[in-house]
Amino acid sequence: MKFLMLIFKNLRRNMVRSLLTSAGIMVLVFVITLIWSILGFLDMATSEKAANFKGIVTEKWSIPSQLPFSYAATLEDGAAREESDVKPMDSMTWQFFIGSVDKTNIGFSTFIFAFCMEPKKLLTMMDELDSLQPGPRATLDTAIKAMEGNRQGIIVGQKRLAAIEKKVGDKIKVFGINYRDIELECEIVGTFPPGRYDNNTCINRDYLNASLDAFKAAKGRPHPLAEKTLNLVWVKVPTKDAFSKMSNQIDSSPMFAAPPVKIETASSGVSNFLAAYKDLLMILRYLLAPAIIITLTVVISNAISISVRERRKEMAVLKVIGFQPNQIILLVLGEAILLGVVAGAISSIGTYYFVNRVIGGIPFQIAFFSSFPVLDGALWWGAAIGFITSFAGSILPALSTRSIKVVDVFSKVA
Amino acid sequence: MTEKPIVRVSHVSRYFKRGSERVNVLNDLDLNVPEGQFLALMGPSGSGKTTLLNLIAGLDTPSEGEIWVGDRCVSTMNESQLARWRNEHVGFVFQFYHLLPVLSAYENVELPLLLLPLSAKKRREQAMTALELVGLEDRNSHLPSQLSGGQQQRVGIARAIVTDPTLIVADEPTGDLDAKSAHEILDLLGTLQRSLNKTILMVTHDLRAARRADRIQHLDKGRLVDQPDESLYEAG
Repeated sequence: MKFLMLIFKNLRRNMVRSLLTSAGIMVLVFVITLIWSILGFLDMATSEKAANFKGIVTEKWSIPSQLPFSYAATLEDGAAREESDVKPMDSMTWQFFIGSVDKTNIGFSTFIFAFCMEPKKLLTMMDELDSLQPGPRATLDTAIKAMEGNRQGIIVGQKRLAAIEKKVGDKIKVFGINYRDIELECEIVGTFPPGRYDNNTCINRDYLNASLDAFKAAKGRPHPLAEKTLNLVWVKVPTKDAFSKMSNQIDSSPMFAAPPVKIETASSGVSNFLAAYKDLLMILRYLLAPAIIITLTVVISNAISISVRERRKEMAVLKVIGFQPNQIILLVLGEAILLGVVAGAISSIGTYYFVNRVIGGIPFQIAFFSSFPVLDGALWWGAAIGFITSFAGSILPALSTRSIKVVDVFSKVA
Repeated sequence: MTEKPIVRVSHVSRYFKRGSERVNVLNDLDLNVPEGQFLALMGPSGSGKTTLLNLIAGLDTPSEGEIWVGDRCVSTMNESQLARWRNEHVGFVFQFYHLLPVLSAYENVELPLLLLPLSAKKRREQAMTALELVGLEDRNSHLPSQLSGGQQQRVGIARAIVTDPTLIVADEPTGDLDAKSAHEILDLLGTLQRSLNKTILMVTHDLRAARRADRIQHLDKGRLVDQPDESLYEAG
């Protein structure tokens, strides 16, 4: 602690250099925080959970998966036929409805991407919504109850709501794009909490199915997609073993002959989606991120090397008056680490709050993810990156102070 | 002042290797300095006086012979022991002051005390006392760049005496000062010697400065000489 003052003052010796080095650290930590957040988020999405597995049931041979809705009840039951068969803890059907609030003008300000489902499943099956804090959970629950009371009720993400210039309570007509000639007259009953579902919309599945029935009644023929409305089913099982058993039940069920279905873990399903981005993610993970860390180390090493070279005489004086070589090394390391940790922490903490609170996520479209939150780990990433890179960058310059000879101090060169 | 030697240099030689050649800087040198004495070391350039000062102050070790300061044999200590010993027992005054530019006068003086197990209050007391002794207590918050050369050297002297060392070594302490400031610094060193009974070793080229010492020792070609050629020295 006694030397902290000396470390601080040495950093203030050349404010321009210290500030420029800090700025360099902040920029690089900012970039690496974004990269690691995206990669970390995708890792979480593709990593197998130890418990509470989600299985995704989709059409076996066709992408996009389009199953008849008649599959839903059996799949939600895990295709259990015997008493001893495994049944899901919970399940959920997904039907995707893509539409526009303006029939002729389809664009960002009119576009609607909705998943049609049982409203109550929002709070039990949807990632992040199943772990909301009490306040936002109660607000969403109110909207869900409104959807259950009025099947035309919809919940819209806050950004989407702003984009279509509507508010809660407004009524909108959504013209189907994938469900051609299906028009849904909806009432906005609530919004999703800010974050992952900012651009999504939730429609009660009963309303979509009823609209398809109404189409058939009106036109005298079924809608072309009438037997292809179920895109996927999620089933939640407690263990990996239960998942395997249910997988066997579904694979062996005679119910799913045409079209056949497959079940895979949610993480495996997401991984398949991300396969197309493998090269990009590899570059981010194994090239860009290490390159940034190496650059950061070199920046710090350069600044500290210059600083040490300029102060060799001073360090000789410190040795003359009794400082041990290791104490001089610690002073140099202390300067670098203080600079690295403080600048790194400011950068990553600032990035965390700016991205998550101000711009609502990193806008980076990859697969079906349109934005990524900066992960909570970023709160300490900056300090850790700053510590490691500043230590690595300054260790050689610091060790070079061992070669400073105390007798140099009496040389006649000022 | 007592006659008990506080510095004993016994058969000390110092040589360096330059390629295959051996360069002798000091040759079988003996020197005793009594406690409380102000000794001036003079000699032409290359005579070995700074090397001798380095050896006595524990900045270098002799190739042969022994150096004792008080009851400690300096010549056998390792680097770590020497650093600790210098901190507690030797005060250094440099020609170019060598104050840390980012620290105030007070902080520069306090610097050697940071290495000792002292409370902040005790450090402050000792540093302020040292600054008072050199007459700069009112300039304690000034940076070196805000002080004149003479004032900087006085801060340097305060730093040298703040740990109450056994020995003060001064390398051309007036070499970078005008005549008036040089006179003040020599007065200050004399006062410290007399009032605090400090032993002072001073290397100088300036005969007028050397004459302020109790004793002058001349070096030539690595040996102490009795009858120097005074024309070698500038009158200053």
